[in-house]
Amino acid sequence: MNPVLVAVLRALAALGLMLANGVVLIYMLRKVLGHMHVRLGPNRVGPFGLLQTTMDVIKLLTKEDVMASSVDKWLFRLAPLMVFVPAFMAYLALALSPTWRFSNLDGGLLYLFAVLSLVPIGIVIAGWASNSKWSLIGGMRAAGQQIAYEVPLLLSVLGIVLMSGTLNMTDIVRSQQGLWLGFLPRWYIFPQFPAFLLFMVAGLAELNQTPFDMSEAESELISGFANEYSGMKFGFMFLAEFSNSFIIAALATTLFFGGWLIPGLERNALALQLGPIVFMIKTYIGIFVLMWIRGTLPRVRVDQLLALGWKRLIPMSLAWVMLTGVIIKLPSLFGGVG
Amino acid sequence: MWGTGILKGMWVTIKNMMRGPITVQYPEQKLVLPERSRWAVAPKFDEEGNSKCTACLNCVRACPDHILEMRTHADENKRKHIDEFTYEIGACMFCGLCVEACPFDALCMSKDYELATDSTDCLTVTLLKDRPTPEPRRAKAAEVDHKSHEPQREGAEESTKSAAKPEQPASAAPVVEPPSIAPETEAPAANENEPMVAKEGDDVA
Repeated sequence: MNPVLVAVLRALAALGLMLANGVVLIYMLRKVLGHMHVRLGPNRVGPFGLLQTTMDVIKLLTKEDVMASSVDKWLFRLAPLMVFVPAFMAYLALALSPTWRFSNLDGGLLYLFAVLSLVPIGIVIAGWASNSKWSLIGGMRAAGQQIAYEVPLLLSVLGIVLMSGTLNMTDIVRSQQGLWLGFLPRWYIFPQFPAFLLFMVAGLAELNQTPFDMSEAESELISGFANEYSGMKFGFMFLAEFSNSFIIAALATTLFFGGWLIPGLERNALALQLGPIVFMIKTYIGIFVLMWIRGTLPRVRVDQLLALGWKRLIPMSLAWVMLTGVIIKLPSLFGGVG
Repeated sequence: MWGTGILKGMWVTIKNMMRGPITVQYPEQKLVLPERSRWAVAPKFDEEGNSKCTACLNCVRACPDHILEMRTHADENKRKHIDEFTYEIGACMFCGLCVEACPFDALCMSKDYELATDSTDCLTVTLLKDRPTPEPRRAKAAEVDHKSHEPQREGAEESTKSAAKPEQPASAAPVVEPPSIAPETEAPAANENEPMVAKEGDDVA
């Protein structure tokens, strides 16, 4: 088959996954938060309100696309794409199973982080181009926050890269096969637990999610950088936000929770066939935890957020990377030649 | 320990999630009203659907807002005949003085709380229309609901006694009635059959 065609089909599959995830996640978020608030959540459109998000998408698609006369027209149009496209590109690095994957990049992890680091640029553009003080504050906060937290996010996964010796997502999952001490799955969550906590905090900040939703901060900035957007431009930003939370959860699954592996059944052919489903279940549990945190914790202040990022998380993650490196290298030091 | 506050908060949230929603889906589900809740004034009827109102106009006089109005004429038997008994619900403050003033137990505070209307015309409710009046017969003490022994209600009874004529029995105290009594006509959003039905039936505690 034509390799270009294959690539296009894969990209389309990734897009489909992204859009479907968006619809499911918005519904899930509203239901989960609703029940955490002892409410019902959406329950009017369709059985259990299942069609609510579909109708919301139709509403966004058919809504008037308002553009204020004072906005920077080109940047205003560019910003939703700058937010949406990196989120979409990040999907291409995911591997749902050894066969179900959008690509097999040797630098998959690096690529994913590189692409995700483009998102704040889009947000800053949106904040600037809107020519509104709320948007601008939101955009600036996003710049300060996401750039600050990219560093600990990257550093927190470095330990795993050291342990597995690869940046390829599939190989990282493969290196988690087997059991420790006969019962503990060889998932990196166990040896890398502090890194997992760092990853969670930095990931939440990277997602712009409560308690770190400074750039949107509904009660302060209305909706921050997305303030002046309406119709499908807003829809793109909204969708990108939800697909980012899928990406962070999928990344946590891949790096810390053994991806598509079922402990003890790594060689089982059926278990391998079920890989994508296992992967999705693990990812959705991760997303539920993100929503759980979102439903629990109040927003921190900007200065607290940045102090936590620069003064705590970065030194801690650096120390952890160093510790991991030393522990990995120790045996070879004592074993003679390094 | 550092970080336990977060875990505690997470525990609270998940407990709330497991608790299940407490939302009442109002138009479809309704709460059981407290037994002594009182809303719009409504006439009471006996089993045959006859009003006990003798058109004595005590309620009209008792109303501090002057919102009750009764037009009567004498029929061929020299008995009062009610042409129309109207009630300006929009100006009512639900004080219940009319119910307390009624010596014949012909009025009550109903549990019809869905009083919103889309037109000011609907704010004038006709309680009774074109009805003959019965032989005046005061409500006997035995007919009165004896829930009135609660302290708060006793105070109300005393005020009734002092306000009403001395020979009147205390039985004129308002009676909490089951909610099957609805204004006769034009009641705004009057839900004819069992307006207070709630999830667990209507056995009010």
